[in-house]
Amino acid sequence: MGANGIAVAKVDLKNIKPYGDTMNDGMMELTFTLPVPYGPEADEAAKILGRKMGLDEVSVVFSKDLGQGFTFFAMYGKCRHTVDFTAIKVAKADVEVMSREECQKYIENNIRRDVVVVGATTGTDAHTVGIDAIMNMKGFHGHYGLERYKGIEAINMGSQVSNEALVAKAIETGADAILVSQIVTQKDVHISNMTNLVEIIEAEGIRSRVVLCCGGPRISYELAQELGYDAGFGPHSYAEEVASFVLTEMVRRKLV
Amino acid sequence: MKLLRELSKKYRVVSVVGMAKNAGKTTVLNYLIEEAADEGIALGITSTGRDGERKDIVTGTDKPGIYLWEDTMVTTPSGLYDMSEAGLEILRVTEYSGALGEILLCRVAEAGYVQTAGPVATADQRGICREMLDRGADMVLVDGAVDRRAIAAPEASDAVILATGAALSRSVAKVVEETMHVAGLYRLPEFSDQAARRIIAENGNSGRLTVFEKKGARFPDVTTGLAAGGVLNEAIGNETKYVYLPGALTEGVVAGVSPSKLKQIAFIVKNPTKIFIDSASWRLLRKKGLRVRVLKNVEIAALTVNPRAPEGYSFDRAALLSAMREAAGGIPVLDVRYAG
Repeated sequence: MGANGIAVAKVDLKNIKPYGDTMNDGMMELTFTLPVPYGPEADEAAKILGRKMGLDEVSVVFSKDLGQGFTFFAMYGKCRHTVDFTAIKVAKADVEVMSREECQKYIENNIRRDVVVVGATTGTDAHTVGIDAIMNMKGFHGHYGLERYKGIEAINMGSQVSNEALVAKAIETGADAILVSQIVTQKDVHISNMTNLVEIIEAEGIRSRVVLCCGGPRISYELAQELGYDAGFGPHSYAEEVASFVLTEMVRRKLV
Repeated sequence: MKLLRELSKKYRVVSVVGMAKNAGKTTVLNYLIEEAADEGIALGITSTGRDGERKDIVTGTDKPGIYLWEDTMVTTPSGLYDMSEAGLEILRVTEYSGALGEILLCRVAEAGYVQTAGPVATADQRGICREMLDRGADMVLVDGAVDRRAIAAPEASDAVILATGAALSRSVAKVVEETMHVAGLYRLPEFSDQAARRIIAENGNSGRLTVFEKKGARFPDVTTGLAAGGVLNEAIGNETKYVYLPGALTEGVVAGVSPSKLKQIAFIVKNPTKIFIDSASWRLLRKKGLRVRVLKNVEIAALTVNPRAPEGYSFDRAALLSAMREAAGGIPVLDVRYAG
């Protein structure tokens, strides 16, 4: 019996299933598009696909003609599969996040000079949304960007910046940190673009004196390690996290 | 072929670098680790990226694990320590840190699969390699990451194994061409003007951009050759013979120099890892008179080929091997899966 006198099935962490209305009902909601014309055949195709994905009691609860022979679906189904949650190990990095005020205090107490941060969206990517969210004065989701931080000189070079231009700017300004954003790229070109930047930074002999961070929806700590960056910031990252990492890393590496 | 035994006679630190992701670096590493176990060679293992994970983080394809025998030394970050199946004794928590936490220097106490990652900066890697040798490793193998090749620099590695294969291109000819471009850069002629070399050495090898005239040398006020275009061009006079670039030689740097001046000078770079010009541009620029010399080149111990690509296509094994051998000009070429 649960706390409110209601019978509750206990979570079995060795066999977790999606939760819909009751524990272990396996209920999932999916939305997707198929390249077939709207109609009963399209709904049936969606259901067959759902069953192949391991869902039982599949139902298409919504479908809409997208035109040009495409149909959009919302589908429910019960997942047959389970996951052993207790056996999962993921690579993690621990960064203690300070607020903007705490970051400013930290600079005052531990660095005692302005910190120069150069950022850009590099290569062919034209999307500034990521770098702006971190650097712009107004920030994102109520989290002010680095331009608003006292003690940080934030230089946002915008999008489609070449790796050469970014490194040249970092050298010219004596940057303490370089931030690279990659949002939308094709065929994993962001990978070779980001390794190329690391290699140029190595070649210019400044790798040891800059904190190098990357960010974007497909970036993780694991990928950052693989690509040769000091940190990687995925989705839901704000300026505080980036600033906290850059500042503590500068102090740890005695770059102050 | 007893590749490792040959390598261990000549080199202490060997890095495995790739022409592309999935060129087969980890497979080569595993081959060498197995040989080391047979030959009784004590190894140190580290990676400039991350190795031993079973799924590729970008393509999602399966990757080989890394199985290490007792007493091998290995680096792993604190964030991956729990993910190794081998028993790892921590020798030291190093001062190096990466995106996955502090780098731990470990000894394998109980053989098993290991996830390894090391410092991402080349200078820090040198420190770790040195320490593993000091602690008794006969040899250190550094696994590269993706297409990062900075670790190949002669001050970081005594020699490299260059891994290449179908992952680079769908055309055998293109794979051979791109690979031999990099191999060609690694074997560029070393700069022979001893007087000029002395001047570079006196200013610290990483030092300053230097313009060598027929008589004497000048140090123009340029902090980097990158995006220095006009300034660099102006710094080259009628009497200029060489320009020493302490940093990167990119297409952008070359483009900033006027055609007549390009014909007149040679660029001097510290080592081939400083050159960022692809094979097509290199050919074109060579026709326009580009000449490059290095203070020290990179020793290529072997080329390895992997005929399979993660996208699912593959080359004929023998055809790839023979095409690469024909082009390699004496560098040993092998496919470690069919050691021949």
